[in-house]
Amino acid sequence: MSEWLAGLLSLALAFAGMAALAFAMERHYEQLTGGRNRPPARALRCLGAALLLAALLPCVWGWGATVGCVAWLGFVSAGAIGCVAGINAAPRWAARAAWAFGPGALLALAWVCIAP
Amino acid sequence: MAKAQATSGAGQGGFRQAQAWLHTWCGLWFSWLLFAVFLTGTLAVFEEPITHWMTPEHHAEEEAALAASTRPTASLGQRLDWGVAYMQKHHAGAGMWELWPADAKGAGELRVFWFDSQRQYVSAELDTASGAPLPAASQPPARLTLGGQHFVDFHYELHAGKVGLWIVGIAALAMLVALVSGVITHRRIFKDFFTFRPRKGQRSWLDAHNAVAVLTLPFQFMIAYTGIVISGLTFMPVGVVTQFGAGMPGAWAFQAALNEPGKPRPSGRPMALPALESFALRGQQLMGQPVRAVVIDHPGDAAARIGVYGWNEDAGAQRRLSATSGLAMFSAATGEVLQLRLPGGVDGGKASLTQSVMAGLHMVAFGGLALKWLYFLCGLAGSAMMATGAILFIVKRRPRHLGEFGGATARVYRLIEAANVAAIAGLGVACIGFLWANRLVPPGLAQRDDWELAMFFGVWALALVHALARPAAAAWKEQLGLLAALCLLLPLLNALTVGDHLGAQLLRGDWESAGVELFVLATGLAAGWSRRWMARGKSIAGSAPRPAASLESEVQA
Repeated sequence: MSEWLAGLLSLALAFAGMAALAFAMERHYEQLTGGRNRPPARALRCLGAALLLAALLPCVWGWGATVGCVAWLGFVSAGAIGCVAGINAAPRWAARAAWAFGPGALLALAWVCIAP
Repeated sequence: MAKAQATSGAGQGGFRQAQAWLHTWCGLWFSWLLFAVFLTGTLAVFEEPITHWMTPEHHAEEEAALAASTRPTASLGQRLDWGVAYMQKHHAGAGMWELWPADAKGAGELRVFWFDSQRQYVSAELDTASGAPLPAASQPPARLTLGGQHFVDFHYELHAGKVGLWIVGIAALAMLVALVSGVITHRRIFKDFFTFRPRKGQRSWLDAHNAVAVLTLPFQFMIAYTGIVISGLTFMPVGVVTQFGAGMPGAWAFQAALNEPGKPRPSGRPMALPALESFALRGQQLMGQPVRAVVIDHPGDAAARIGVYGWNEDAGAQRRLSATSGLAMFSAATGEVLQLRLPGGVDGGKASLTQSVMAGLHMVAFGGLALKWLYFLCGLAGSAMMATGAILFIVKRRPRHLGEFGGATARVYRLIEAANVAAIAGLGVACIGFLWANRLVPPGLAQRDDWELAMFFGVWALALVHALARPAAAAWKEQLGLLAALCLLLPLLNALTVGDHLGAQLLRGDWESAGVELFVLATGLAAGWSRRWMARGKSIAGSAPRPAASLESEVQA
C-alpha cells in the first residue's frame, strides 16, 4: 500500500472515530441536534473506539508494526484536531463528513485487502 | 463532614494550585524560546525543499545530474578499481581509504575520502568515464547560503554551539515540566477534550491552548524527550568521563570504542590489496542493500580490513525506526566476515539501539513524505501551544493585575507583552526575512551566508525594539501586517531577482520550490486575516487593546 493511501485512510478513520467519540458527549451532541435529547453514548463510544483501532490497520500495512504505531498516534492526533475544528465551525458538516469518511475508508480498506 | 470535605478539597486544590503555579511560570519564562525552537524545528522538517528554493543556481545542475544518472556509466568493479588506483598513486600513506563508488542505482558520481596529514577529512571526485581526478570546485557556489540548515542548527543550538545546545536542552526539560504540570492543572481534560468556544476572549485562548496541547500530547512528549536524549551524552557526561577519561582524548577513545569495535592493528607485513568488487558484491548480498561506500583500514597491510556500507534508500528504510544502514566487514587477507550489521541495527548493544531509535523518532528519518507532513502539523500545533500559552498569560491579567511583581507589575506585564509580540510575530518576520535576504544579498559576496544570518537576527532584534517602542495592540497589528506583506510579496521578489515563478515551477514539476512558495503564501494570507480580525475585534468591542493574534497566524508565522 502506498504511503499516501495508507495516510489518507488512517486519517479518515481517525477523524470519523474522533467525531463519534465527540458526539457521544452531551455538549457536542447538542451542538449537532440543537435539542436536549441524550446521545446514544455507549453505541457511539464503541463505534469511535472501533474506528480508531481500525485506523491502525492501514498504518501497519503501510509502514510495518513499529513505524506504523508512530504514524497511527500522529494520525489520531491529526484526526482529533480536524474534528475539533470541524465540530465547532460546522457540527452538521463534521457529522456528515464523518459518516462519509468512516464507511468510505472501511470500504477502501476492504477493497485493498481483497484486491491483489 | 463539611469540614472534612473542605480540608480534602483544599489539599487537592493546594496540589493543583502548586502545579498551576509551576505551569504558569515555567511555561511563561520558557515559552518564547520554546516557540522559536519549535517553529524553526518544524520548518527544519522541510530542510531540503527550503535549501532547494534558496539555491536557484543549483536547479539546472540538479536536473543535469538527474539526466546523467540515467545514462549507463562504468560498472561498480571498474569504479572501485579507479578509486583504488587513485588512492595508491596519490595517497598511499593514508591509514584509511573510503570509496563512494556510485549512488544506489549504480550511477552518479565517484568520490574518494581520506584523512590528510593534519587529520582533516578530505575528498576528491573522479571522472566516471575515465577514472581521472576531476579538478576540485575552484570557487564556492555563487549564492553561498546555509539554506534550510539554518533552521536545523538554530532549533537545537541557536547558532551558539555548545552553549546553545545546553540552553535548548534546559528549555526542553522545562517543557517536559510544563507538560506534566499542565496535564495535572487541566481539571476537565476529558470533558473539554473536543471543546473550543470561539469569540469568548480568555475562554477561547484557554480552549485553543488546551486543544492543541492535549490532542497532540504524545507528539509533544516524544519530541521534547527524544530531543534531550539525542544530546544525552553532552548533558550527562559522567559515564564517558569515568570510563574513558575527560576532555577530547576521552571523547575520542569513547567514539573509537563505540564505532570501531574490533578494528585490527596494522601487522607491519605488506600485502597487496585484493580486488574490491567481489567484497562489495558479497557485502551487498549479506546486508541486502546496494553499496554506498567501501572503507579500507590499513590498506597495503596484511591486517587490512574492508568494510562495505549500504545505501539506505530502499523502501525498507521507511519501515525502520532506526535509521542506520547495513554494514559488512571482511578481512582482506582471508575474506572471512568479521562483522555483519543488518540495516537498522547498531554496533553498541541495546543502549545504542535505543538512542538510534530515539534519534530516528525525533528526526523522522522513516515513513516518507506522509510522516514528514504529520510531524510538520504536530510541530505547528506545538508552536501554537507555546504561543497561545504566552498570550493567555497576558489576556488573563489584562482585566485585573494580579500584582505578582509588586509595584513593578504593570511594567513587567508591558515587557512580557512586548516579548510576546517579538517572539511570536517577530520571529515569523525574521524567518521570512531570511528568505528575502537570500534573494537580496548579492551573490558572490564574501561570507554571504553570514550576511543572511545577520539579516535574520537583525530583523528579529528590530522586531523586539519595535515591540518595546509601540503600544502592544499596534505592535501586533504592524508586525502581523509586515509578516503578511513579506510573505505575499515573496513570489514577486523571486520573479524579479531570479526570474522564477509558481507557474514555471509547477510546469517543470518542481514541487519543492512550489511547495515553499505556496506555504509562504498561505502564511501570508493567515497573517493578513488575523491582522484584520484584530482590527475589527477592537472596533466592535471598543475595549482596551488586546494582544489577540489569531491561532492560525502564530501557527504559520
